[in-house]
Amino acid sequence: MNTEDLLRHMNPALWVGNLRARSKDEVLKKLTEVLASTGKVKNQDVILEMLRNREALGSTAVGSGVAFPHGRSVAISELTILVARSPKGVDFDSIDGEPTRLFFLLLAPPQDSGNVYLQALGVITGLVQNDEVRQKLLAAKDFDAVVAALRETEKK
Amino acid sequence: MSAPKDVQLLLALQDLEQMTREAQDATNREALEKMGFPVTGLDQLKEAHEKLEARIPRTLVSRYHRLSERLGRAVVPVVDGVCTGCFTNIPSIFTSAVNQDKVVYCETCGRILFWP
Repeated sequence: MNTEDLLRHMNPALWVGNLRARSKDEVLKKLTEVLASTGKVKNQDVILEMLRNREALGSTAVGSGVAFPHGRSVAISELTILVARSPKGVDFDSIDGEPTRLFFLLLAPPQDSGNVYLQALGVITGLVQNDEVRQKLLAAKDFDAVVAALRETEKK
Repeated sequence: MSAPKDVQLLLALQDLEQMTREAQDATNREALEKMGFPVTGLDQLKEAHEKLEARIPRTLVSRYHRLSERLGRAVVPVVDGVCTGCFTNIPSIFTSAVNQDKVVYCETCGRILFWP
């Protein structure tokens, strides 16, 4: 899987440029609400429960202001990626203790051929390790700017 | 339209069981840890499992476990009018039962159905 494959699972309706949430649970609730509003998910409480449990297993905030809430659920029918930005930042139990500003939510059905879900998670975590891309994502005006930042990082 | 409450709880239980299996799988765990995700809360998942089960009627959760043991996945989506567990057609009349907040079973394989 490469960046272009990853981008096929993202779209402007799954970009939240101004996430308003004050806690980890509020972030998860808001993200699942967005999924429900786009019709990607009908059973949003099932997704929310799964994400809460995933965070109980270990925080998905890897530091440097980025978190990757993720998991598999029978309530989603295809690999889905939602990107959100909280200008103020949220305490997401990050390993470095810093507020989290960028959220990449990855959801996948229980079974996918070739384990695309883990591959996608690997690609996105790799891309966002780059400090420059994080700065561009934090400054992105719209979804197109998010896509451009991710594409540019792959070229480097 | 979302699934009946009890079915949603079963879906959450099924997701949780899969998450636990994957967290216990050495290869999967290693892949996650390599990406920077520590897998440290298996005890918390066990606790969450107990709490979740306690919210589901006992007869339903027993049936769920029997189905899981026998068929693997106990709760499956109906896609294009077909049970994705055994691939038989589900009569459309069952959709109205879901409207009434009833748990619907596949008449062929017995799995619990939901409409995603």
